[in-house]
Amino acid sequence: MKHRALFNTCPDGEFFGRVSEIDCILRRAAADNKPAPSILLFGGRWTGKTEVLRRVFHNLFWGQARVVPVYYQFKGYGTVEDFSEDYLKEVLKQYLAFRMREPRFVRDGISLDKIEKLLVDNDMYELADIAALHREARKSNDASAALKNALHAPAAITRVSGIPVYMVLDDIDLAEYQGPSGRGAAVARELISSLSSSDFSFVAAASSKRVLEGNAFGSVEAMELAGLDEELSSSMMTDLCRQYNIESDTDMLRLAAFRLDGNPMYLKSLVWAAAKSGMRLKSLKDFADLYTQELFDGNIGFALRAAMGLKSINDLRVLHACSAASAPLSDEELMERFRFSSAEMREILNSLSEAGLVEVNLGSVKWSGDATIKDFVYFIYETRVKGRSIDEVRTYLAREVLKQGFDFKGSRINLKLANEVSDTVKSFNNQKVLKVLFRNQAFNAKFKNGAYKVSADRKEDEELDLPQVVGCFDTVRLESGEAGPPILIAHGFQNGRYDSGSEVVWIVSVKDAPAPVNLGDVDNFLRRSQILRENFRAARVVRWMIGKDGFTFEAQKKIEAEGVYSSDPVQLRIIKEGLVDPDGASRLRIAEKIVPVKEFEVVLPSATKAELVAARAVEEIGTEMGFDEVAIGQIKAALVEACINGFEHSRNKAAKVFLRFVSSVDRLTIHVQNGGVDFDKPSSAAATEPDAALPRKRGWGFELMRGLMDEVRMEKVRGGAKIVLVKYLVKKGDGRNGQEV
Amino acid sequence: MVKKYRNFKEVGDAVVIYSDNYINDIEGEKLEDLCASYMERGFTSIVIDFSETDLVNSIGVSILIGIIEKVRDCKARIAFSGLKRVNYDIFSIVGLTKHIEIFDTEEDAVNGRVPQEMVTS
Repeated sequence: MKHRALFNTCPDGEFFGRVSEIDCILRRAAADNKPAPSILLFGGRWTGKTEVLRRVFHNLFWGQARVVPVYYQFKGYGTVEDFSEDYLKEVLKQYLAFRMREPRFVRDGISLDKIEKLLVDNDMYELADIAALHREARKSNDASAALKNALHAPAAITRVSGIPVYMVLDDIDLAEYQGPSGRGAAVARELISSLSSSDFSFVAAASSKRVLEGNAFGSVEAMELAGLDEELSSSMMTDLCRQYNIESDTDMLRLAAFRLDGNPMYLKSLVWAAAKSGMRLKSLKDFADLYTQELFDGNIGFALRAAMGLKSINDLRVLHACSAASAPLSDEELMERFRFSSAEMREILNSLSEAGLVEVNLGSVKWSGDATIKDFVYFIYETRVKGRSIDEVRTYLAREVLKQGFDFKGSRINLKLANEVSDTVKSFNNQKVLKVLFRNQAFNAKFKNGAYKVSADRKEDEELDLPQVVGCFDTVRLESGEAGPPILIAHGFQNGRYDSGSEVVWIVSVKDAPAPVNLGDVDNFLRRSQILRENFRAARVVRWMIGKDGFTFEAQKKIEAEGVYSSDPVQLRIIKEGLVDPDGASRLRIAEKIVPVKEFEVVLPSATKAELVAARAVEEIGTEMGFDEVAIGQIKAALVEACINGFEHSRNKAAKVFLRFVSSVDRLTIHVQNGGVDFDKPSSAAATEPDAALPRKRGWGFELMRGLMDEVRMEKVRGGAKIVLVKYLVKKGDGRNGQEV
Repeated sequence: MVKKYRNFKEVGDAVVIYSDNYINDIEGEKLEDLCASYMERGFTSIVIDFSETDLVNSIGVSILIGIIEKVRDCKARIAFSGLKRVNYDIFSIVGLTKHIEIFDTEEDAVNGRVPQEMVTS
């Protein structure tokens, strides 16, 4: 049996996520419509672009026959002729490898003469002519003929062979740095011209989308490869820690994953460093020690040093200035600050831009590195330029890491509630809701213990007209340095009239701490909103306070007296659910129909029969809500299917499945999310079986869910997929639950 | 002659197999092995009683389809009994109820009394 390896890739056990991206590229590459749509895969350094492309190539090489895959990685060459020869060699030998099913040709370096001979021996004379043409061009020192011949070879092969070539181009943004200074632009120009050909398609990886700007590639889809999301990257670290027997703490790994931007190279390096030094990853201190050690003296530092390729101390000065600036700097500003001539400045910026550390656009220089590179730049700048000792800088960075880590948990929660508030105000859409949902004191009096109490005070049944919100933003820019909970500004129009008289601004304070809003918080909000309203003089201002843990009695009194709206998370959830659901809107206007929403979360570990834990949980919740036995059975069976599907499609063995149960007035909604790729799609084979034949054996999961629940939705979320299952408590037009199957 | 064991009962040339509370891949394969061994021993009628089964997942369903296929290939008879409503729903969604006799009780299934169309819990 042949050795099937092609290009080097990391072991499968150390490759996480990216399955949906690889699937998407493969689907496009082998699509029926020719040429297939091209793709630009862009993302920061070491986010796994090369690994993705090589796996795409491997799959295309072994798994299909519609296109001939050719992988090429741009690197630096001394001359344009050298680059042309290298490119042509790869195109021709990989074509031969694919046609002859000979992976050795991909792996081994073969001279162009040998390739030409192989082409002749296999009766591919027209392709051998392409190699001969290159030889002639080199003989007559015609670099541009050689370049043109090489870059247009994929189109020529496609025309001659009738099978389209599919180019897999790695580090395409380095194309303009092929050959000696000044010649790179010619290479880039010719490359763009060849890729614009309608004969073949490509997938290309670059550090940014910039390569698409102003280039006539034709139709190219941009696909971002960001760091792994928090869930997947912490699962990856958990898996690696298990493999290397490193004692770890889940929260700590989550923090590390967040701090390292989900960058697979950083994450792996950190775990390897822990394994090598026998350290644990159990506390913030462990992480800070390991991280700074890796940055200064480990694999991360070594890789960064090599990749950044700083040529002079001036490069470092400029880079440090860009990394420390909160906004892009102008090249003039940098020239003036460091006393550079424009030629010097240009050279420095070219070098930094080539390394993907800054983006230069019309005189504006923008930092494009990540937080780890920023720390590394800080370290070398402080030690080399400022002359501080390594220990001193290391202590400073470790202290910063500890401080950030400490803030990490709180900031994530803040983000969560603030996002929810932002989503809610954006869905106001001129709808009407009961005022009681914006008055916490009255709401609590009315719905104590979840039951509606009839009140003589009909003021609670008054309605509130919500505006059409056109934008929602935080106040960081408007009140820098202010202490207190975050404030959101929602700007909109009232009563469906878009004139100055109808302009309205909602100033919303979000306290997401495990303590109720107190008198101090209210005073803080009143003062800040008074200052903020100066920015929106023309508009009517509405103030709204949201407290994760409710409000103290004194705070409620003052809020009422000041005419400020107030809501807790229960009210917020009712508003949000009602506003986004067209059937729910009427519910928000009838007090008797308002029932506090309850939420439960369950995390399932990857274990045998873990789905039964979910089934038991939903049985409890369903019974409490009043579903009958039949409906509960149906929900349990559907949920079991969703969980199995979630585990099956998670990227790694230790992955968990996250469940959120939301019980509201008329329905139970269950969100089932994994940290991997898409769940199974509904099977299309159902209708094709003849009556006499037994049903097909596999692929029933989604159809079962659909048959047993009232609604089943699949949603794509960052880094994974989600199934949403909905069961109505009382089906419309039906007196019983779960009757229609 | 009737021989009763914990998971199955032999009634002449018929066997009643009592399935587990949850039929997934593991339990499904156990059922499959049990059916195969009884067919090898010459039993011509197999009844699977689901009275104790609360849930059958899709993998369990696929194994059950495989069992039905094998039993039919051996020209033997297979029937289900004691289905809870949700399990009937599941078999109905996959279209299995058109292909198999379903009875209220194991006795009816063994004796081959007229199967009822719908079983409720």
